[in-house]
Amino acid sequence: MRALFPLKQVMGLICSLTLTAAALTVYFFDLSFEAGSSVLLITAFLQAIIQLTVFMHAGEGEDKKIIYTGIYYGAFVALVTVFGSLLALVWGYY
Amino acid sequence: MKIDQTLPLEYSTEQNRLNILGFWIFLGAEIALFGTLFASYFTLVNRTGSGPTAAEIFEIMPVIIETVLLLISSFTIGLGIHAMRLGRKRAMLIFFGSTLLLGLSFLAVEIYDFIVYIHEGATLQTSGFTAILFTLLGTHGAHIIFGLFWGLLIMYQIIKNGLTPETTNKAFIFSLYWHFLDVIWIFIFSFVFLKGMM
Repeated sequence: MRALFPLKQVMGLICSLTLTAAALTVYFFDLSFEAGSSVLLITAFLQAIIQLTVFMHAGEGEDKKIIYTGIYYGAFVALVTVFGSLLALVWGYY
Repeated sequence: MKIDQTLPLEYSTEQNRLNILGFWIFLGAEIALFGTLFASYFTLVNRTGSGPTAAEIFEIMPVIIETVLLLISSFTIGLGIHAMRLGRKRAMLIFFGSTLLLGLSFLAVEIYDFIVYIHEGATLQTSGFTAILFTLLGTHGAHIIFGLFWGLLIMYQIIKNGLTPETTNKAFIFSLYWHFLDVIWIFIFSFVFLKGMM
């Protein structure tokens, strides 16, 4: 039975739940916009890293480099899309 | 077919390795897809017109329940893959079954949420904000629905054919998909719900 619950993955779940609880502080405490956004950015990206490395085994095969390149490229495209839109359409830098 | 015994079964052939690599590249494209939806959401979030705002319709409890359900389902499918690598078919099927049940519960809470929003006057056509809210949440929810059927078919094949290079490869790829949906939900949880209620 113990063999079915590897420590690494149990720790992964505990970290995910802890990070979720940490993110909830922005709801339960009265943080400034900047502080709240920073907390959310940090907890969300840490959670994504936990999923990728602990649960998705992204780095275990011989294709590690291509896999990470693809994911970084996807994340780059997503971030440019999001922040590009914010810059031009919301923050007014056009 | 050349089978390399030193690797886990799902990586054991060239075809299997390439299937997994191909799926990672697909996930890269999915990140970009959700990137465009998040960009639209951040652009439209304040365009509420005469409809309700984010703070008026969001409730914290259902969102916490959805997040915990999805986090645990991501954990159980991880355990399913671990059991698969140990060759424990029954344990793997139990973990996969639990994952799908948790996914179904997530979906039930999300649908309840949608019904609440609609009762509070936030429909797909109410405002720019509600349109992109339902589009973003709906795209994620549609992925979960698709995943439930996909997962059932994977379980059926494992029951029928056992743990072969093909079925383990399919199960591993499905686990990647499921973890990916969890990552997307974390971003929805943080930047749609928590930010909206901050």
